[in-house]
Amino acid sequence: MRWIEREERVRFNEVDEWGMAWHGHYVAWFEAGRISLLERFDLLPRQMVELGYIAPVINLTCEYKHSAVCGDSIIIRTTAIKPDIAALICRFEIALRDNGLLLARGETKQVLLTKDRTMIYRLSGEVEKRIAAMVDYCAGE
Amino acid sequence: MKEIVSDGTQLCEYLKGMVIDTLKLEDITKKEIENDAPLFGDGLGLDSIDALELVVAIEKAFDVVIEDENVGKTAFASIETLATFIQEMYKDKS
Repeated sequence: MRWIEREERVRFNEVDEWGMAWHGHYVAWFEAGRISLLERFDLLPRQMVELGYIAPVINLTCEYKHSAVCGDSIIIRTTAIKPDIAALICRFEIALRDNGLLLARGETKQVLLTKDRTMIYRLSGEVEKRIAAMVDYCAGE
Repeated sequence: MKEIVSDGTQLCEYLKGMVIDTLKLEDITKKEIENDAPLFGDGLGLDSIDALELVVAIEKAFDVVIEDENVGKTAFASIETLATFIQEMYKDKS
């Protein structure tokens, strides 16, 4: 499985009263990771709109393993898995850059809606091609 | 599968089992699902995401294609309409 990586730094405004990265920010980091993956395959939100679709998140999970603190450099790793349904499923891992310690892992599931907000049950055309290219890339060694 | 499809009663029972299994409706039995009761909203209370899960199960089991929510909404109105939809699709095949 291949992962796309990007680095972020935990900012002062992202930590809570105990000095730990606030749990909600992991979702924003997942989003940053997802964008890094999607842009490689021309699947950025605006590009999806150009193809006639939007892709709202319908499910999100996050398991927290260790806490990051202010100033930590973190690596966000993102991959996409082949879905059973007409959906986009991304998996994430967030780890400390320096020692690789896993901080959190999670998953998001997005469905595809057309401009008139009709959910599609089957991918086709250009969007199918691009998603397949991404999923195949991620499934590679 | 062809025998099940040709027998409306059997098909409805099969579909009820499929809805329960696919959506993991553990507290609902087949008997509690009326053939003509709405599956969405006021009826069984399913939503559009549930429909997406069901579509995959139905496409796999019956080798039919349900393109999008517009087709799905009509087909998934009730167990009865779903059974009719599948029977129609089968007719086109043969």
